[in-house]
Amino acid sequence: MSEGGRPSIRRRMLMFLISSLIVMVAGASAVSYWVALRSANDAYDRSLLDPALDIAENVRIDASGAHVDLPVKALEALVYDQVDRVIFQVRSPTDAIIDGVADLPPPPELGLGQQIFFDGVSDGQNIRIAAHRTASGYVVQVGETLHKRNRLIGEILVAEFVPTLLVAIAATALAWLGVAHGLRPLEELRLELMRRAPRDLRPLSEAAAPVETAPVVEAFNSLLSQVRDASTMQQRFLANAAHQLRTPLAGLQMHLELLLRRELAPDVRGEVERMHGATVRASRLANQLLALARVESAPEHGREFERIDLLTIADAAAREWAPRAHAADIDLGFALESAELRGDPLLLPELVDNLLDNALRYTAPGGAVTVRTGCHEGSPFLCVEDTGPGIPESERGKVLERFYRVPGTPGEGSGLGLAIVQEVVARHRGVLDIDVPTEHPGTRFCVRFPAAELFTAPI
Amino acid sequence: MRILVVEDDALLADGLTATLTRAGHAVQQAHAGRHADLLLRAEEFDLVVLDVGLPDIDGFEVLRRMRARRSVTSVLVLTARDAIEDRVHGLDLGADDYLTKPFSLTEFEARVRALLRRSAAPPAQWSVAGLVVDVAGKRVRVHDKPVDLTPREWALLELFLARPNRVLSKDQIAESLFAVEETLSPNAIEVYVSRLRTKIDEAGVCIRTVRGFGYMWEGANE
Repeated sequence: MSEGGRPSIRRRMLMFLISSLIVMVAGASAVSYWVALRSANDAYDRSLLDPALDIAENVRIDASGAHVDLPVKALEALVYDQVDRVIFQVRSPTDAIIDGVADLPPPPELGLGQQIFFDGVSDGQNIRIAAHRTASGYVVQVGETLHKRNRLIGEILVAEFVPTLLVAIAATALAWLGVAHGLRPLEELRLELMRRAPRDLRPLSEAAAPVETAPVVEAFNSLLSQVRDASTMQQRFLANAAHQLRTPLAGLQMHLELLLRRELAPDVRGEVERMHGATVRASRLANQLLALARVESAPEHGREFERIDLLTIADAAAREWAPRAHAADIDLGFALESAELRGDPLLLPELVDNLLDNALRYTAPGGAVTVRTGCHEGSPFLCVEDTGPGIPESERGKVLERFYRVPGTPGEGSGLGLAIVQEVVARHRGVLDIDVPTEHPGTRFCVRFPAAELFTAPI
Repeated sequence: MRILVVEDDALLADGLTATLTRAGHAVQQAHAGRHADLLLRAEEFDLVVLDVGLPDIDGFEVLRRMRARRSVTSVLVLTARDAIEDRVHGLDLGADDYLTKPFSLTEFEARVRALLRRSAAPPAQWSVAGLVVDVAGKRVRVHDKPVDLTPREWALLELFLARPNRVLSKDQIAESLFAVEETLSPNAIEVYVSRLRTKIDEAGVCIRTVRGFGYMWEGANE
């Protein structure tokens, strides 16, 4: 998801989450460690005080002075410990050591009958010391090494920190997955946009968008709607312009034809004929611009598609184009078989007309143009073959571009006819192939439509 | 014949008028829908050449009102708008024929002739080049020599004469010539057309073949 140095939402969210988790885990571990350690220490301290009190009770003072009145065995039992070395010391009120080890630091200031716990060093080892001053002023100190306590610290650390750490790792993993899951609507949005045809300006579905992406979808839709409006305006302008051009062109063409019926000097006739030719060309251009505007404004997903037979469309074209073909001394032929598809009833005739117009335009007198319709492996097709000069392979892709004309081509083509054909084919998700007819040189345009279209009810 | 030209574009209206006048018709002009409507209420015409885009009420409305008055006058609709939707709309409202601007003068004249012929009584006699057809007597002469036609050849000739310069598919010919129960193969149609051609060929008329599709009678009938 993170491409290059691009900011990543997932990374940002995870960085935030992980750093917060580290602080929280560290804090929680420290607090519980401290609490556990304190209570454990208190318990050990209390059990350290017990032998000190016992010893204090048995301090006797007699003629030989003060001494601890306990058998050696009992004393050993009192300070016995499996793990730690335990030592004791009894000091007189005058601070003279009267029993136990010598190597224990003196206790801090301590009132009569009071106890205190403190840390010290004995024999080079850290020890914990419990001190008690009896009512008569004797001080009993019991110290022990820290092995037990240190082991406890380790155990508490493991018991507290490891589960917390595991929870933190699990939380991070869940967050990683959760972020991916949470970002899925964005991914879906991306896929929906990727799948779109370039001219599909329908709004994105706002109902399915989660609250977080809804503002983005709404903003995007508002942009789409502006683009759509602009595009509609442009198409309407084009349609209106073409439409408005037609009436004056019709008048002009008519008057030129009236003029041509008069007696004219040969040079004047030549001029008028050229003007007439130009007028007819301009009319045709207006018609084609109108057709192009219409293809482009046609609904993208063919909501107005109907069940149509290409045979019917070719049949209508035959009636319209045969007179023109005869006038040009071109043998216009048909091999029509039923080819049903779902298509736009206004655009498909435009497709056939433009292919025929193109074929007739570039076929020399005495040549032939043949229209074929039918189904090949379930796919409806329409082909127009001519005996014209053919289109070099390198030019075949370019002839579909608007206003492109094969260099050196005679005639008066506008360069829009095949662009219209291409648009109509695209609108029907068909494929347009340009090659050479099997039986003779020339050009063959073949349009194949998807087979399944017919039966996938409303598309 | 009396013809009303309803067209708001003066250039085109004058051209249409000049063409029709030259062909010997009495032409009147209207430049707006209401004016046309008034004229059509007041006077009788044999044909109305009606533009769709008019400044006040559009051509379709003029046509609708005409048909609402049960007028049977032929109407040729002209439009600069785009084909099929308008054509269907116009024909639904009772237009007889339809031309999209711009159109050639020849095309316009052919449509007008066809419409006027339809509204006139069928002529007793056709004459094309060296061919003379006596419709009522069912007799055909080529360069003044009588030619015998079988009933089917005669029916075929009538069909062609009624639709000059229009392409007829073989199916269409089979349907109009023969009863439904008789099935007629495209080959049979070819045979009949070929025989008819041989018989009237010398007259200089032409029945064109549209390969794989049908036939077309070429040339205007006088």
